[in-house]
This record gives sequence, C-alpha cells and structure tokens, in this order.
Amino acid sequence: MTGFIDLYTEAGTFLHRTDPRVKIVAVATLSLLALIMSNLVNLLVLAAVMVVLILFGRASFKKTMLAFSYVFRVMALIVVLWPLFNPGGTPVLFDLWPIKITEPGILAGIATAVRIFCLAAAWYLLMFTTSQRDLVRGLVKMGLRFDFGLSLAMSLRFLPTFSAIVESIKEAQRARGLELDKGNFRKRAKDYVAVLVPTVITALKMADTLSLALQSRAYGARADRTYVRELKMRAGDYVALFIAVAVFAIPATVKYIFSVPL
Amino acid sequence: MQALHLRDARFRYKGSTAWALDGVSLDVEKGEFVTILGANGSGKSTICLMSNGLVPHALPGDLEGTAEVFGLDVRSHPVTELATKVGIIFQEPESQLFCMSVEEEVAFGPENLAVPSDEIRERVEWALELVGMEGYNDRSPFSLSGGQKQRVAIAAALSMRPDMLVLDEPAYALDPVGRVELYQVLKGLKEHHGMTVLLAECDSEEAAKYSDKVALMKDGRVISYGKPRDVLGDPERLRALGVTPPQVSEVSALLKERLEGADFSFISVDEAERAINEKFTNRKRGREQ
Amino acid sequence: MIPRVPMSADQDKIISVHELKFVYDGSVRALAGINLDVRRGDYLAIVGGNGSGKTTLAKNMNGLLRPTSGSVAVNGVSTSEQTVAELAKVIGYAFQNPDHQLFCSSVAEEVRFGPLNLGYPEAEVAKKTELSIEAMGLSSVKDLPPFSLTLGERRRVSIASVMAMDPQVFILDEPTTGLDARETDDLMDSIDRLNIDGHTVVLITHDMKLVAKHAKRVVVMSEGRIVLDSDPGGVFADLELLLRSKLVPPPVAQLAHRLSSLGVPREVLSPEELVFHLMSGRGARK
Repeated sequence: MTGFIDLYTEAGTFLHRTDPRVKIVAVATLSLLALIMSNLVNLLVLAAVMVVLILFGRASFKKTMLAFSYVFRVMALIVVLWPLFNPGGTPVLFDLWPIKITEPGILAGIATAVRIFCLAAAWYLLMFTTSQRDLVRGLVKMGLRFDFGLSLAMSLRFLPTFSAIVESIKEAQRARGLELDKGNFRKRAKDYVAVLVPTVITALKMADTLSLALQSRAYGARADRTYVRELKMRAGDYVALFIAVAVFAIPATVKYIFSVPL
Repeated sequence: MQALHLRDARFRYKGSTAWALDGVSLDVEKGEFVTILGANGSGKSTICLMSNGLVPHALPGDLEGTAEVFGLDVRSHPVTELATKVGIIFQEPESQLFCMSVEEEVAFGPENLAVPSDEIRERVEWALELVGMEGYNDRSPFSLSGGQKQRVAIAAALSMRPDMLVLDEPAYALDPVGRVELYQVLKGLKEHHGMTVLLAECDSEEAAKYSDKVALMKDGRVISYGKPRDVLGDPERLRALGVTPPQVSEVSALLKERLEGADFSFISVDEAERAINEKFTNRKRGREQ
Repeated sequence: MIPRVPMSADQDKIISVHELKFVYDGSVRALAGINLDVRRGDYLAIVGGNGSGKTTLAKNMNGLLRPTSGSVAVNGVSTSEQTVAELAKVIGYAFQNPDHQLFCSSVAEEVRFGPLNLGYPEAEVAKKTELSIEAMGLSSVKDLPPFSLTLGERRRVSIASVMAMDPQVFILDEPTTGLDARETDDLMDSIDRLNIDGHTVVLITHDMKLVAKHAKRVVVMSEGRIVLDSDPGGVFADLELLLRSKLVPPPVAQLAHRLSSLGVPREVLSPEELVFHLMSGRGARK
C-alpha cells in the first residue's frame, strides 16, 4: 500500500535470529559509542562497521535507499552549515565578515554528519532485521507496560490501514472536483478539511469496534497474562549481548578512565 | 439451560429515548444454528451485543426483563467472563483484528486468560485449522482478503473455547465466494463440534440453507420464530420487514397463485427442483394421456 | 473470448477503453488488457469477485488512475489530457463507503460541495443542489448533519452529491452493501430512474440478484480481464463462468438450469420469468 513502508525484510541471518532485547541494547550502546567519539577516523571506522552489518542483515536495497535518502539529506545539510556556524580554530580558509570558514570547522561538520549516519544506521539496523512484533515483544519483556506495548503494536498494525483509508478519502473528494495541492495556503488548508473530517470520523468508528473487539477477547481479564511465544535468551544471544556491551564499555573506559581522546 | 434465554427483554441505549429492544423473547438451544433476520435498526445487533455482555457493560443503558447466557445473567457477569462462553464476530473485518500477526491475533484471548504458552500454541493451530487458515500464522491481518479476515476473527474467538459463536452480519463486506466459505466454516463448526451459532442478517438466502431456526425481528421485537420453512415461506411479508426473501420462495409463491391445487412451500433450490419436477412431469404426462 | 455485443454498435460511445493495462506500484498487475465501450444510456454492471479489477477499471474511467498502457477516452478525448475535476463534469463516481466523502455539517452543504468545486455560478449550484436532494428523496433531512443519518441515507447523500455535478455517467461502487431489502429497493429505484432519464449508469457489484433485476448489460471480470460482455440473460446461461469468476449465480438461475428438461431456458433472470416459462411449458422467452 501507499504511504508507509515496513522496513523489515524477512531473512534468516544471525541478526534476525538474535533476541530483540539484545538488539535494542546494541542499538543503545552503538548510539552511545557514536556520541562519545569525535575523531573523524574513528567515526569512519564505526560507519564502515555499520555498513558491513547492514549488508549482513540483507535488507532490501530499495528499502535501504529509501530509509537513508532522508539521512543523506540531513548529512549534506550539516556538512554545509556546520562550518558556517561553528568556525572554531585555525587555519582559517575563508574569511569575509560575517562568514568565516576554518579547517577544523569543516572537519567537525563532516564528523558530525558521519556520527548522524552511525546513529541512523544503528536504528535502521534494528528496524531492518527485527519484525515489528518482535520489537514490541522485546520492549514489553524489558519492562514496558503491556497496555503501552499493545497500543504501540496497534498503531503499527493500523498504519497501512489508515494510509489506505486516507488515500481512498482523497480519491473520493477529488472525484467531486476537489483539487488538492492547488491554490494558496488558505485554500489548501480549507480543502484538507474535506479529507481530515472523514478520516477522523472513520478512525473514531474503527476505534469503537476495536474497543468492543478487545473486550470480547477478554482483554484485562487477569493480571498474570501469558504469551504465546516467550522470548528465550540462547547462548548466542548472551555472546551478542556481551559484545554489544563491550563495544561501548571498552572505548568508554579508554576515553574516561585513561583519558584517551576518541 | 439454554445458550441464550431472553424473556421480555427491553433495552434502551444511554442517551436514547427509543427502546432498541422492546420486549424480546427468544431461546437459543445449545447446538442450534439460529439466524435473526430483520431490517437495519430492528434490534438484531443489540441482541448480538447482549449475548456476551457488551450490552449493557461496554454500551450502557436501561436493561429490563430476563437476559441470560448459559444460565448467567448478563447484568451480573462481566464481558471478560462471558467471553469464555460466547465468541463474537463483528461486521467490519478490518477493525476487529488489531494484532501484527495472525498467530498473535488468535492467541490474544487465551493469553488474556493466562492459558499456558504450550496450550495456547495448540489452540492456535486447532482454531486456524477449523477455519481453513492453517499456515497463515505469520501473516499480517492487513494483508488478508475480507473473507480470510473474517475467518481469522472466528479463529480468534474459537481459541477461547466458547460454546456459542455470535456473528453480526459477518458477510457484510465479503464477495460471494468469501460468503460461501464463511458459511461453510460455520456449518462445519455446528455439525462437527456442536457449536451453537447465532447470526444476524438482512438477507435470508443463507438463513434458509443453514439455519435450524429463524427469528424475524421488527421494531425491537421477535415477531416470528421457528423452522426456516415455516418462517420464510411468505416473500411478501419478508420484503415488508426489510428482509430479502429466499429467491426460490418467490417462485413458490407465484406458482401457488397461478397453479390450482399447488401446495408449494420450498425455500431451497433442491426442494424446488424436486417439487417442480414432480408436479410438472405429472402434468405433462396427464396432458399427453 | 469474443465479447457478445447485445445492442446496436452505432450508439454513441461515451467511454472508450482500449487495450488498457494497469499496474499498481510498479508490480501488482490489476488490469491485463481491457477493451470496452460504454454507450450513452447504458445500464452496465461490472461484476467480479474482490480483486478482479472492477474498481481499478472504474477509477481509470474518471481519471483517478491513469493507464499504465493503452488508453481511456471520455467523449472522444483521452483521460490523460483531462484533470480529474474536468472529468468529474462528465463522470460522477460514488465511492463504496459514503463515510469516505461526507464531511459537511448539513446534507445541503454536502451536496453543494461538488458543483461549487466545478465553478458553477451560485444560482446554478442552488438549483442543482435542490434537484439532487429532491431526486434522492432527502428533502426531509437536508438540514441535518450527514453523520446523523442511517447508512442508506448516507449512500443517498453521496449519490446526490455526485448528481449535483450533473454528470452524464454515474459510476456506483457497491451501492447496496450493508443495506436491507427495503433500503436496497428504494435506492435501486432511484438509480433506475437516473437511467430512465437518459443517464448512463455503471454499477460495480458482486450481487448477481441485483444485476439480474436492474442491469441491461453485464461485463464479467476475472483476474484483470473481461471474460464476458453480454446482456444479463447471457451471463446466467453460463454458470460455470460465473463460478470461475468467483461469483455465485442467483438461486433462480441455478433452478432454471436444473429445470431445462421442462422447457425452462437457461437465461432466466427472475422468479416471474421462470414461472412464466413453466406455465407456458415452452422454451420461448418472454
């Protein structure tokens, strides 16, 4: 359907098999690692590792490109703007008041862009290799309240449904001669009321049925709910967890205990 | 003890002045397949919603008279308890499936009832097989056809091991083939698993074919209740009630009108074929002699 | 499959579909080469199971979808040269779910929305609104909010709001879904009247009883192709084809087939017709 894309691609790689909780921890540690590093070379090494991991995860090329197209735009923006607004240090390469561009400024801009890439890559890696249901299951197992997890799961479940409904509503109004995305801002805002009102009403009606359906399936009957699939940590998951923690813990020790800049 | 026992039941939704049910008496015996027929707004849905306590617990209002499900007064037993006796399926296939996979959908009920994981997995396989959806465990409900969604909704109710299934116009959004498949599933559940089935419809074609009994509703009351043959024989009357009559019953009524001494009252194609063949072959023979 | 042409071919073509192929999102093939002429005054039913391509074909007729290859012409002009709004002046399209278009605070406002968009002068908008509300039997509820009405009434509002744009063709997508017998009969009466008044009606449905009772021409679709184009009787003569197209023939058609030894023709459409043939004892059609 249109509008929304589930980034997950089914494939049986070790990244797919790893327990979602471990992957969530790994995303956190990789993100922290990217944040404590400032040296461009180190960041580039981390970025290269991320690329390798993503290749290992066998995400579909189309989805990968789509996901990163936004990241690349942000990176380009940072590379251009960072040196303009953070002109610290020397040598100065270009100085025309109020604009001053320095070499450290440019390098810092590139480093920040690479850091953004690493952060995004870590999160995307999780999305590429973990189905939405495993993700929610992992979060609930890690202590997220079940009803929050269910809400999250339902939002994800109904995203494509709503996307299709909005599409149908837009078509229905266009068939009545409404030309969306034409005219000035006021006209457009007014036009969108014709899409928004039916969307909200349809959503409310669906929510009514949904709430009846939930109750009809004994939602909230007991506090000690069970789960059809229990997550179980296997040997490999413990190894992965150890690596995920070490990946952050070792550089952090090096940086903060031994004061080696990274 | 009946599966459903309503005696002079009256119900008025909160904020409404009209009685949605205005003195309904209806008994559904265990193991029966009963169809409630009536125009939109005649009260069919309210009976469905009452059968597992959504009326009056989730949808409050004034409830008078007797309303019991398997001997339990719907007023004093919560939906979560009645849900283990009665599984309900709504008309819209899309908005009653809220999980990210078929397996989780079917497991949701027993999970809430704290059934052990191993047993839930058995129930899921069992329920999916009964509705002909085995192997769909990992599919997203969104990706299924309307008919498949309704069958998953049935499986999700079955996994709680109810004694009765209640369906409110379940074929609403289905194409003819999806409709046939749905009714076949219900028929199988009744015949092979002793399931009690209560269904609301405004077209009587399937009611004639599958039901043991049919209830006709008008303005919040049941005005006829009995075997399909006895209730569905008069197409004029059904039309006046906003119910689509079985098409062959119109053939039957017309023949009765035009053919002296004809005593037709068929409501199914098979019966019609037999009765007409008999009558007209005799007639032809009579003429030839 | 050679389509049977039931009516004289020199009638005015209003929609002309030629070798139409349509593919969703670059991968899902929905239409696999459609050729179809809709003539002025047609009462055409497009039938087929869910996913057969009925709705995709209809959306190609009013420009909501554009051909992947092939062409669709309305009044001789290709849809690719017209905007959806321009096409809306000729082709009215009522969606399956009326709640996907209703948003105004009164029925009258809702009905005005279309002609206002098309830029008709105020006096004309008022006149068209009035006439459509009247024709759809909504006069008594015209000041009420559409959402307070029953599904049957909301369907009428949706059709009235299309009618107010004064189109030559009405495309109605599953207009009777969820309606009871009385609401269905009332609505179909109004639709029949549109056709009698000279409008072309394209009915998208899988209800074969409805087709037998109202349509004058039937196009059967299956897997993105037209597998039969004939008068309704011709469709019911071929039960196999209907079943293959995920459609269920109405009980009377099934009965007619089983009674052919009594001289009942296979093309029978209604209980009246079946009884007529039984009583006359001959194979002749009415």
